[in-house]
Amino acid sequence: MSYDQLTPTPDADSKPFWDACRNHQLMFQKCAECGDVRWPPSILCPQCHCRDAEWIESVGKGTVYSYAIYHQAFHPAFAAKLPYVVAIVQLDEGPMILTNIIGCPHESLACEMPVQVAWDDVSEECSLPKFLPIL
Amino acid sequence: MLEAGICKYVVITYGHSALWGGGMYQMLLQLTGNEAAFGHFGAVGGYALAAMRGMHEFSTGPETWKHIAMGQRKWANLNPAAMMHKKAMSEEDYYNAPMVVEPLRLFDNCLINDGGRAIIITTAERARDLKQPPVLIAGMGHHNPSNEIGQAKYMAGPTGAKKAGEAAFQMAGIGVGDVDACQIYDCFTYTVELTMQDYGFFGRGEGEDWFKGGTIEPGGRMPLNTSGGQLSEAYYMGLTPMSEAVMQLRGQCGDRQLGPKTNTKEPEIILCSDNGGILQSNACYIFRKG
Ligand SMILES: [Zn+2]
Repeated sequence: MSYDQLTPTPDADSKPFWDACRNHQLMFQKCAECGDVRWPPSILCPQCHCRDAEWIESVGKGTVYSYAIYHQAFHPAFAAKLPYVVAIVQLDEGPMILTNIIGCPHESLACEMPVQVAWDDVSEECSLPKFLPIL
Repeated sequence: MLEAGICKYVVITYGHSALWGGGMYQMLLQLTGNEAAFGHFGAVGGYALAAMRGMHEFSTGPETWKHIAMGQRKWANLNPAAMMHKKAMSEEDYYNAPMVVEPLRLFDNCLINDGGRAIIITTAERARDLKQPPVLIAGMGHHNPSNEIGQAKYMAGPTGAKKAGEAAFQMAGIGVGDVDACQIYDCFTYTVELTMQDYGFFGRGEGEDWFKGGTIEPGGRMPLNTSGGQLSEAYYMGLTPMSEAVMQLRGQCGDRQLGPKTNTKEPEIILCSDNGGILQSNACYIFRKG
């Protein structure tokens, strides 16, 4: 499997999110009933089961909920990147997404550190939202 | 189904050829989905994220986890069926092992192996007429918080173990103090700590104090994962802990048998756990000598 096959496979629910990523916009569904901003995209609000939602654009700022540092490559495409950081970032609008922290010395990593989105254009079709520390 | 008379015996089996079949790798890769784009794969990464959040919220880390890895290894050294039977583990071995996904080192991870396990369940009445000494299910509880781990706020507990444990203790009519030994699902050392914490064996962040000094080892006051567990015997999902609990209560465990042979209390009650996904589900079982 090449890295290309590891890039996200959008489904009907997540296509608007990944399409927006190509334009360097971080878009999430906001429930029309209770206002919950959710991830991953879905037809129902996980909090109140309401079907109506609007897509809103995130400012792209948040905090690190947790992180982990990969020292082994589980796929050859990542061997040259070791060690690299996977993290869960909680955006200021609410949703938590899995991502990478880049541009941060590993000894400075910490839960709750503020971060902002930094786009990684991995191919013509795909831009990944990664995060940089806010200094 | 047994109570209703629909069936007489239920066999629960688990087997895999994880070493050569690639099935385990496939399963773990499928757990990953779109997160593979960020280099996030399988279970180790998920539990590493959980363990790091645990380290942020309460006092835990390798100083706690080494006691679990080394304690279980001592049990495996008494179990000829264990993969790690002939391999001792010193504190130096634990710390010098490579990081897999930080904060988890190699010996914080369970084993990959070929093999299988099976248990048979029937009514207590029927069991009394069978060849083997019966072991009774005194209590059970399940709880499945079941968010995607990426959206979960229970990485540092309380996990599903809290409610599952409460339900099992209530059904059995006992408390933590009545338990003679534990067989805890141990995909990672952190899972053992968090599960025991949520079951109420010690307070939040008191794990290091509770585990140190040989608490869970041969001769210890709360023997845990006495086959070596999935960290040091073999990985058979929930059947590693369950089969060991049953065999211990039957007195069929050879050199690792709880009681005078290992300078531990002869067991009447053993608590077991199972755990699914990345801390997304928990089952607690309390077994009693029949
Ligand atoms: Zn809602």
